[in-house]
Amino acid sequence: MRSLIGALAALVLLAEPALAQEAARRYGDFPVIGSRAAVWVAAQLHLFFAAFVLGVPMFAVVAEVIGIKSGEERFDKLAKEFTRLLLVSYSATAVWGAVLVFALVTLYPGVWTYLAEIFDVSMWVYVGIFFFESATLYLYYYGWDLWKEGRAKWFHWGLGILLNLWGTTVMFIANSWLTYMMSPPAEVTPDTAPGMVQFWSAFANATWMPINIHRLIANVVFGGAIVGAYAAYRFLMAETDEERAHYDWMGYIGNFVAISALIVLPFAGYWLGREIYEFNQQMGITMMGGFMSWLWIVQAFLIGVLFLTGNYYLWVGMGRIPGAERFQPYTKYMLVVLVLGVIVWATPHSMIASRDEISAMGGQFHPFLGVLGVMSAKNTAVNLMILTTFLSFLLYRRANKEPVVGWAGRGTMVQGALFGIAALVVLFYGVYGYFVPAIVRIGFSVYQVLAVLSTIVAVVVLDVLMLRGATSRGEIRWGQMPPRSQYALFILAVTFTWLMGLMGFARSGIRQHWHVFEVMRDTSVDAATPALGYASVVISVCVLIFLGMVAFIFWVGGLAEKPIITKAARGEGPHAALQPAGGD
Amino acid sequence: MLLQNLKIVLVVLGTLGLYTWVANAIPQVESEVPAQLSFGADVTPEELVSAGGQLFAGAGACVTCHGLEDRAPALLSDYGGAGPIGQRCADRVEGMDCKEYLYASLADPYSYLVEPFGPIMPDQRINLSEDQLWSLVAYLQDQGGEVTVTGADLQSTQASSAGGAASQGGGGAATAAASGPSSDATEATAVMQANLCFGCHKLGDQGVVLGPPFDGIGSRRDAAYLRNSILNPNAEVPEGYQEVAGLMPPNFGQMLTAGQLETIVQFLASQR
Amino acid sequence: MRFLDTPFRQALAVLVVAYVLIDFGIPYIPPLFGVDSAPVPNTVVLQYLLTVLAGLLLWVSDNDERWTEFKRPIQEVLVRPDKRVGRAVLLVAVPVLVAFVTWGRVKPEVTAPPSFRSIHPAPPRSITFQGETMQLAGLENPLRSEGSLEAHNEVGKRVYYQNCLPCHGDALDGLGHYAHGFNPAPLNFQDVGTIAQLTESFVFWRVAKGGPGLPREGTPWNSAMPAWENLLTADEIWSVILFLYEQTGNDPRTWEEAGAEEGEH
Repeated sequence: MRSLIGALAALVLLAEPALAQEAARRYGDFPVIGSRAAVWVAAQLHLFFAAFVLGVPMFAVVAEVIGIKSGEERFDKLAKEFTRLLLVSYSATAVWGAVLVFALVTLYPGVWTYLAEIFDVSMWVYVGIFFFESATLYLYYYGWDLWKEGRAKWFHWGLGILLNLWGTTVMFIANSWLTYMMSPPAEVTPDTAPGMVQFWSAFANATWMPINIHRLIANVVFGGAIVGAYAAYRFLMAETDEERAHYDWMGYIGNFVAISALIVLPFAGYWLGREIYEFNQQMGITMMGGFMSWLWIVQAFLIGVLFLTGNYYLWVGMGRIPGAERFQPYTKYMLVVLVLGVIVWATPHSMIASRDEISAMGGQFHPFLGVLGVMSAKNTAVNLMILTTFLSFLLYRRANKEPVVGWAGRGTMVQGALFGIAALVVLFYGVYGYFVPAIVRIGFSVYQVLAVLSTIVAVVVLDVLMLRGATSRGEIRWGQMPPRSQYALFILAVTFTWLMGLMGFARSGIRQHWHVFEVMRDTSVDAATPALGYASVVISVCVLIFLGMVAFIFWVGGLAEKPIITKAARGEGPHAALQPAGGD
Repeated sequence: MLLQNLKIVLVVLGTLGLYTWVANAIPQVESEVPAQLSFGADVTPEELVSAGGQLFAGAGACVTCHGLEDRAPALLSDYGGAGPIGQRCADRVEGMDCKEYLYASLADPYSYLVEPFGPIMPDQRINLSEDQLWSLVAYLQDQGGEVTVTGADLQSTQASSAGGAASQGGGGAATAAASGPSSDATEATAVMQANLCFGCHKLGDQGVVLGPPFDGIGSRRDAAYLRNSILNPNAEVPEGYQEVAGLMPPNFGQMLTAGQLETIVQFLASQR
Repeated sequence: MRFLDTPFRQALAVLVVAYVLIDFGIPYIPPLFGVDSAPVPNTVVLQYLLTVLAGLLLWVSDNDERWTEFKRPIQEVLVRPDKRVGRAVLLVAVPVLVAFVTWGRVKPEVTAPPSFRSIHPAPPRSITFQGETMQLAGLENPLRSEGSLEAHNEVGKRVYYQNCLPCHGDALDGLGHYAHGFNPAPLNFQDVGTIAQLTESFVFWRVAKGGPGLPREGTPWNSAMPAWENLLTADEIWSVILFLYEQTGNDPRTWEEAGAEEGEH
């Protein structure tokens, strides 16, 4: 829909190339908040909805296939409920897309014309795929009960896969437009007429693939977090125990998906950062060391919140698992590790201090705390926090199980040893990092991450083998969860959403006063890139609008809802809940 | 039900508020946009140099690399023993005079790389207008050399550049003969910068107020008083500055030449 | 430890212990390594305590029983008739505390407000010193391998007392006569976090280029350190660096096992 309008607008403008040239220097004016903020809000909201709409189908199909394979109906129901959320969010995505296009056409006609002239064909293709995507989505949702059995079910699942393919393609196409603005190919200069730009080199530009992958993963994280918040809301509002049980379980899965995908996200981010540095040194320096350097302090704070809240949710959840009381005494030690981790992770290298304090410290470095402010300490802290979070998951998974295999005791010891070794490796390189040059030290972070990741993989493999046929100490009492935990899910969702807005500001802001970096200059009154404080206000407003709309849409969607839970959705099989969608 | 909703809204608002507060509590830095300059044919070298100086230190972001010296050669100070850029520019490339060389290396940096630095400098024509480029050239020439940029230069490249705006009235007869750019004012400022006067005294947008500001000091103090205050800072402490008395080094008499001292004194006395 | 038998009191105790450790304990750590003690800035104390408080709230609430136990004393004070005195005290004390803190924050003071400073500067790989390019990476103090160390040390001493003394002080502790007037304060060479963390080439860079030579990443700040390359020769700078290390008993970082990444001040 939005692209249709876009393409139409492009056609109209393309009809008069001379006019288009004129328009290149023209800007519209949006009252009160200004053009920049208007387009910013429209784009951010479109992206929030789009990320949700792209992330959710991914684990809907995974949940569906788990349902088919295991024969457990509740996974199928979960997948269907995901899809229902999708259906109602889909139109919001399109609406905000249209708002964005109209905002661009009216406020930044020059930029729009320029981009339309280069990307016209891909815009038409985009519209076409959008049609197919909508059609597939309707078939997928409304055909759910029709194609229920046997081969028809597999056909239905195939539709889900197709839906993902369309969605991913649509995102890849749109990504090319905005990555072109960040990293236009080297042969494009300010004098290049847009009609002369080679389509494919503009399409597959330097940062296109890194952004594609980064967004793909981030969409899963985001979708999981929003689903978690949705489930939390339904849980708090539930009137029956069945409902509570179902939404408790759904919230758990949303959280699991979000946190698991989050752990791989930094690698995609690292790749993107490297491509940016390779594309243009200056851009990279602006991002990491220039006027944006303080942004990463805020990011560190948000990530600290994510770690604490994510673990907290698991610990509270242990209260509803019989047998978890064995492990609960250990959570306080994990909490100590996490709190110490956050303290180190957020310790500023140079402190904010008054004159007297500075003279008492002998400079803005603290002789002891300054040591914690450098990269070595922070990498160590964050790796230990990842390890601790993983341990939380492991204990949660193990809580109500009693392994029956003969080597269980030894297996657990090996797992413990693996944890110990990983922690030691991380600590060793963290401390050793103080005694080597920076060049070597940067390499150490790779060893630390590898130690943590390989431990995670090895421990999971061991755990799966060890818990084969394990006896249960009792089923998880889904639904018997204190409301506090559900607020934690809200905080997680808000934090993920805000973090996404912040990183979006970073990505878009490093272009500085360029529409298309070093090709098309921003000559509007809003050309300067705003400071972080202003950006944070805009992000907060966007998040607020987004959550408000989501609440409204889900409420409206719920009005016409047939009771999705028929019987007790709880506890069909002891280990079912521990193989959630997107997990193993 | 309502209470529950209210609680959720409060949790969400609280989280958002916390993040917004944190982001506002840290230093606020806005990225600058290079100002668009436009000069007529009768532009003076002083105008160009001052505009170029602002660009160099500010929005042109030149100092991100030049001056740090591990990314690019120093321009304002000596590099490779050939003096600052204004002195060495004419000798860089055979057959190119200083002005031509500077403009060409701004416009096409990769062709004029200085060993051992890598090709990281973008074509400055992308970022800056012709007028800005020429003001940078003038500013760099001023670093130890003579400013030869004139209004005619601005016109010439503007006419040839593709999207160039309409030529700005006038025509070729650009003049601006003045070749002695280092007037007393710029020299005095330079001396004061070198001696870190602006570490404690404020003048215009330079410096901080720790000691008495220099703005309008000529209307409050005469030259003799100023001279004495520089040579013997603690002899008389003005009202309101008792706390910082004794802070100013008493050895400027040894550090400044008599000429420098007089330049500063006359310059300050003229600040009315 | 009968006193510590409820989660509320335990949490309170942890918070108090954390405060004591952070505000009074951390200053005792540097002396263990032979460095002068230094107080923890208030902003950092606040940040750490808030983190600990968040952790404590997670701890008391991650288990239903503990959460109820934790809330009970609070509830009791607020509603039980026999706790009326405690309630009254609390209702007076809390606003007074808030008022006191607010007053403390807004009352007029003579000291400058805390200043922000951006990240520490990374040293350049090479600099131009009086017209010659010097590779900083891998550079050692040339005076260590030629002539008599004592003689160099004497030169360094003279240079120090003629030039550095007013700011960096007689005891090389950054407390010279003018030191209190500067922000950032002159470096304390006795501190293990300063020259002991740095290679001599880094120190050379900072001495030679001073405040004006700080890279743009190091802004916003306004170090008053002059660029000594205009006033001293290379040998004089090297010898004064030698003197700094000799006099403070610190060893410079060497290139085999040291990075010159950390900044000064």
